[in-house]
Amino acid sequence: MQKWNLKPARDLGMPLNKSLRSLQRENGLIATAFHLAFWTCVKVYLKLWHRLSVRGEHHIPATLPFVLVANHSSHLDALVLASRVPWRHRDQTFPIAAGDVFFDSPMTASFAAMMLNALPMWRKKCGPRDLQELRERLVSEPCAYILFPEGTRSRTGAMTRFRPGLGALVAETAVAVVPCYLEGCFEALRPEWKLPRLKRVTLHVGEPVTFNEVANDRAGWISIAETMEARVKRLSGVVATATDQASSGPA
Amino acid sequence: MNGDTRARLFGYSRAFDLPVVAAVSGAILLLLIITPLLIWLLVMTGKVSNIHRRELMLRYYSWLVLTPLLLLPILAGAAWTILGVGVLSLVCYREFARAVGLFREKLISLLVAAGILAITFAVIDNWYAFFVALTPITISIIAAAAILQDQPKGYIERVALGVLAFVLFGSSFGHLGFFANDPHYRGYLILILLCVEMNDVFAYISGKTIGRRKLAPNTSPNKTLGGALGALLFTTLLVCALGSFVFAGTVLASWHHLLTLGILISIGGQFGDLMMSSIKRDLGIKDMGVTIPGHGGFLDRFDSIILVAPAVFHYVNYFVGIGPEQARRIISGG
Repeated sequence: MQKWNLKPARDLGMPLNKSLRSLQRENGLIATAFHLAFWTCVKVYLKLWHRLSVRGEHHIPATLPFVLVANHSSHLDALVLASRVPWRHRDQTFPIAAGDVFFDSPMTASFAAMMLNALPMWRKKCGPRDLQELRERLVSEPCAYILFPEGTRSRTGAMTRFRPGLGALVAETAVAVVPCYLEGCFEALRPEWKLPRLKRVTLHVGEPVTFNEVANDRAGWISIAETMEARVKRLSGVVATATDQASSGPA
Repeated sequence: MNGDTRARLFGYSRAFDLPVVAAVSGAILLLLIITPLLIWLLVMTGKVSNIHRRELMLRYYSWLVLTPLLLLPILAGAAWTILGVGVLSLVCYREFARAVGLFREKLISLLVAAGILAITFAVIDNWYAFFVALTPITISIIAAAAILQDQPKGYIERVALGVLAFVLFGSSFGHLGFFANDPHYRGYLILILLCVEMNDVFAYISGKTIGRRKLAPNTSPNKTLGGALGALLFTTLLVCALGSFVFAGTVLASWHHLLTLGILISIGGQFGDLMMSSIKRDLGIKDMGVTIPGHGGFLDRFDSIILVAPAVFHYVNYFVGIGPEQARRIISGG
């Protein structure tokens, strides 16, 4: 008789507090219900409060796996990106969030896991094993990641260098990496502010790129990070040019 | 809702109307108080090592939480008992679904959970016809809804796991809850829960004392034939002793009925335990969860009840009925 392929939950046997902080966390029915409620509220909030508009949404892949990468200057960024992922992929979409900010206390860890569906990246102690775990899950599950390769929110609104960790996740794989540029998030919610302001936000989505022929080594990772940084900058350039043209148009 | 029904559902003042309920509750309380003393004595006499002592204390602390969780709803009223059984069913289903991977099938999972909630409603409503009908209805819905995904690959696996989960945690546990529709439910439930738990203890002690031949070495290497027979003997004696008070004044108080019930509870309990061991061996996991320190998951603790509940329910229902005088369909009317 053919053997059934029964796969226990990756986090089976983990105590709840450990499971919430684990890269192996898997969602059940309760988490799905929370996500459904939370992301519906987020979508309504972004539409009403920030008049969110999206350019190039058709570039978001219809099938998993993929990684959305963007500039990072606000806590709104992950909300904007994740809100555009189709519903059917909601449970498999994981914003990669700073462990020391979102997973430090049990309260924030519960919120990050049960509402945002975030996975932690411990910035001071992130080693190759964590990246390898994320890479394996991305390909084998498959799933989608929302990633900010700058590593932290920009305090000025200007983009900083992309770190090579992104490359370690996608080098020598067919995973689509989608460049995104977030316009207006910094003006709506700066890192030092507690509450968001009534500002328009626009998401620009670029063409996906794959890196199956880029070597999975340090040089390859740096090259991937540079490529994606350039792609996101290009999207921001499109925005800047459009703004310039608008401001230099007939009075 | 008449006065009798209200008293059955919420009447905590009648908790100790049956002397056997008061006696067993008192005995359990006493046992919880003297257990640390017994463990200390065992350590002092060198019969238990320090590592073993820590394990025993961990299990004791868990029982310190579990006992009120089990006993208080039963004493507080039928409504709390039924809701408690409903919650236990959902928790056990969650553990099972995460162990076998069924939780990834959101639609099937939703249907099983909805089936468990519907069973809980039928039980609290005291609507036996609906309670019985829910098993074939839920199974049919699971089989039909799984087609909607239009993914024939894995269809048998998904549906079979969903059906198994519903039958074990919805239907079987539902029978445990349905006892609460009888005015004497406290006695019935305390008899079942106590004897099933003691069945495990008797099997362990008998196995350690006279156990030689392995019972099912591939399924559960530590279980012995001696343990199984010892549990059968002592559990049957316990059921006979307690049952003569619980079923006093009914046809079930006769020795041959009590003997049959004792055998049913002991064999059902041991098969329930072995069934969960088979599932865990098949999956290659040690425990179904980590919710209860020292025990594993809820399913590891309550696996023995799964097969006992329907067996005892139908035996009692056949000979004396479950709450034959009680009002039916107290919520839905009709």
